[in-house]
Amino acid sequence: MDLLVSPILLYGACALGGLGVAFALPRKRVSPFILGALVAAIALGALFIGLGVRYPDQIPNIHFYVFAFISLGGALRVITHARPVYAALYFVLTILASCGLYLLLSAEFLAFALVIVYAGAILITYLFVIMLATEGPTSDAVGALNEYDRVSREPVIATIAGFVLLGGLTTALAVGSSGLTPNTAAMVREQPLAVMPKKVEKALREAKTPDGKPLIQPGERLALASDKVRDVLAAANVIKADQWPLIMPRNHQGEPAYAINAQPTLATGVSADGWLVLTDDKGTMRVLPRSQWPSDLYLSNTEGVAFDLIDAHPGAIEIAGVILLMAMIGATILGRKKVDMDEAARAEAAAKLRQFSDLGQHLGDQAPFVSPAEAQGAAAGSTR
Amino acid sequence: MNYLTILTLAQGPTPELMSGVTLYHYLAVSAAMFVIGLIGFMTRRNLIIMFLCTELMFQAAGIALIAFSRFHLNHSGESFVIFVLTVAAAEAALALGLVILLFRRKETLDGTRWTELQG
Repeated sequence: MDLLVSPILLYGACALGGLGVAFALPRKRVSPFILGALVAAIALGALFIGLGVRYPDQIPNIHFYVFAFISLGGALRVITHARPVYAALYFVLTILASCGLYLLLSAEFLAFALVIVYAGAILITYLFVIMLATEGPTSDAVGALNEYDRVSREPVIATIAGFVLLGGLTTALAVGSSGLTPNTAAMVREQPLAVMPKKVEKALREAKTPDGKPLIQPGERLALASDKVRDVLAAANVIKADQWPLIMPRNHQGEPAYAINAQPTLATGVSADGWLVLTDDKGTMRVLPRSQWPSDLYLSNTEGVAFDLIDAHPGAIEIAGVILLMAMIGATILGRKKVDMDEAARAEAAAKLRQFSDLGQHLGDQAPFVSPAEAQGAAAGSTR
Repeated sequence: MNYLTILTLAQGPTPELMSGVTLYHYLAVSAAMFVIGLIGFMTRRNLIIMFLCTELMFQAAGIALIAFSRFHLNHSGESFVIFVLTVAAAEAALALGLVILLFRRKETLDGTRWTELQG
């Protein structure tokens, strides 16, 4: 069992982090957020330093640390800030830092989708609801924080439960990921190029050889996979002829596709890193090995995600559509529903308003926020 | 080794392979974010913040999925994050509708006021 770092460091960091979060949570008296955040940050930093000291050649790039600390700090502020609007804005910060992590993980499409969907749409909805569902100022504390925002419920027990879970999770993840080795045979990201001949030919046409001449002749285009392509490839010593049934590019119906293969040809003994075959009008073919491909000929992240989504998960898209439709119908029905206040809340609101209008009379004509008639009306009627 | 260079983004031809230890860094961040969301869900009493904390947990799951997707150099994890986004959007719409209903009923966002819902 390999924990990647010493168990003392791992569990010590979990305990220290838990202590920091417990400190930072809002409570009745002053809650030392800065101290708590600092302790939690030290715990996280100790874990990263422990990993970095033991595996100095496998640590991620320095931007990872920046984004990790910003996103976790933002997350901590989401659950500790007493003002809901600020909590929502810190959530936006967390999302933006997570987008940085996504970019480091080569997921550009999702990074931007996340900014648009989360920071742009969902969070704005949250902000609107926070502002819609805010109680009116009470007489004793105009503009002050609500009691349920200032005091958290069982901070110590919740933190202990959470960080015991974190200890278990990090242990399991460490044991699991220490046993993982990157699988080079799984590098099939660029295979869909075989069904995108227009993209390939565009990149080839715009490319120039090092001495300034166009890479391909005007009449040349990508060849379709066929026996003749196999012979050309075998003659150029790129593949062996008996490999062809295995590595022939196919489209998703299993028919021969365009003769391009971005994968290293495996198990050959021939050192070819990928190839494509061009044909001209007379039918003469030539092989373009991967080393001569233009630098902008590859499958972009968006295209890769799109192929994976449509090709591998078409049913899931349908289900996602149904979920969204159901959510839309449900939200519409919920929004149209007329709700009466329950008795206790109504009495409380009436008392609050009465007290408030009394206060206004005490102050004279300066601040008549609510007239007694309005107060009666609001208390008696149901609110919409 | 590569900690001062910007890692090749996916726009590069073939991204370099990622080791299990590098993967673990991202998974640790994801686990920590999930636990922070969980603690927030348990401790905060404001209904809206509680739902914000579920979004935080969704986000943590997304980071783990993307990290595995990068590690295995395929796009399945990324497609799955799209579905996570879908579910999060649907959940936000429904949950916020419910929060508005609950607020109209009691004129407060305090979750502890709904203890009569216990089974």
